[in-house]
Amino acid sequence: MKAVIIFDRESATALSDDLKQRVIGLLETRGYRTEMVELTRGDAAPCRGCLLCLTKHPGACVTTDMVGEIARRMHRDREGIVTVFLSPALFGHLSSPIKNAMDRGAGSHLLQVVIGYGDDIDDEEESTFIDTVAKHRGAADVVHPGMDSEVTVYVTRSPVDNAAICDSLRDRLGRREMG
Amino acid sequence: MKSVCLVNGSLRGRKASSLAFVREVSRRLPDAHYRKTFVTVRGSSRQDYPGEMLRDMAEANALVLVFPLYAYGLPGALMRLLEDFHRYVQAGNACNRDAKVYVVVNCAFPRPEATTGEAVRVIRNFCRRQSLSWRFAVCIGTGPVVALTMRVPRLDWKLKRAFADIAADIAAGGGDTKADCFVHPIIPESIIRRIKEHYEKKGGMIASPDAH
Repeated sequence: MKAVIIFDRESATALSDDLKQRVIGLLETRGYRTEMVELTRGDAAPCRGCLLCLTKHPGACVTTDMVGEIARRMHRDREGIVTVFLSPALFGHLSSPIKNAMDRGAGSHLLQVVIGYGDDIDDEEESTFIDTVAKHRGAADVVHPGMDSEVTVYVTRSPVDNAAICDSLRDRLGRREMG
Repeated sequence: MKSVCLVNGSLRGRKASSLAFVREVSRRLPDAHYRKTFVTVRGSSRQDYPGEMLRDMAEANALVLVFPLYAYGLPGALMRLLEDFHRYVQAGNACNRDAKVYVVVNCAFPRPEATTGEAVRVIRNFCRRQSLSWRFAVCIGTGPVVALTMRVPRLDWKLKRAFADIAADIAAGGGDTKADCFVHPIIPESIIRRIKEHYEKKGGMIASPDAH
């Protein structure tokens, strides 16, 4: 099994570096082949909302950049990849490069792990971040077609949170491997 | 003279429902009484937003953010604008901390109360971080349908009243934050669902992996 870790290089902090190392360590310990994708703002143009990736040519984005290539690959290998998104949680929202990547289909159809980070995130921002991702993946009564995959979302404010997230993720992956 | 900055958060150009809503809000703010600036988000992610654009936003007395809902959150292009604005203010540039902030969010689904809450919360968090004055949101279900019908007399009265409320609130002094307003399309939800299903089926939106 392969795991693609997508993170926002321009928003890296000591906290996100610690998180990234722990997540890579966890995945490799469990036998995943890991691939790092370091996105900058220039690598991830925003989704234009044309819907052609859903209607005319499934899985292929009209914008050709790094994210377009990832989206194409995710569509092709949808059953064999786990995606981990690491994003700063600014105002309780994904950063623009990570949001653009998710909107354009760079997430796995098997399992997506979304982790928001920030030293000074307040409780409302944490809750907003979690609720938005949860709603996207089925908590609302309306779900985007073809986007009913499993997702798990966390928010971290400290290395202690990072450790707890990895413990939870270990259990999550263990249950998936067992089932 | 008060200044108002109207932000179009859509990348769909002239076809955008958000642009139609921006124009409707603008129509209610007479040029004789307001200095209006318009900002449209950009499709290119390689360059930062220009300083003059961010200054227009930072110095405005009122900020009206109009955008389509993207996966229950903000469009990435609008998030990029807010990130650049955040950095601009953090860098010590002047910002009108008394500015009032309004949101007009349009979503593809007929019941906006079920879908738009988180995107509005993000803007409220943005206001809290920047110490701006959050006012209220107008949440529109099936935005493209409402954009087509809103100029017809006697239809979409709730939307027209909501836009008039934005204009009146900008003109007025402070006061309490108002409740968000939810606008539903005039076409019944069952018909909208059937139209949606028709196009999903026609377009093969749930496609098999080897379909391309």
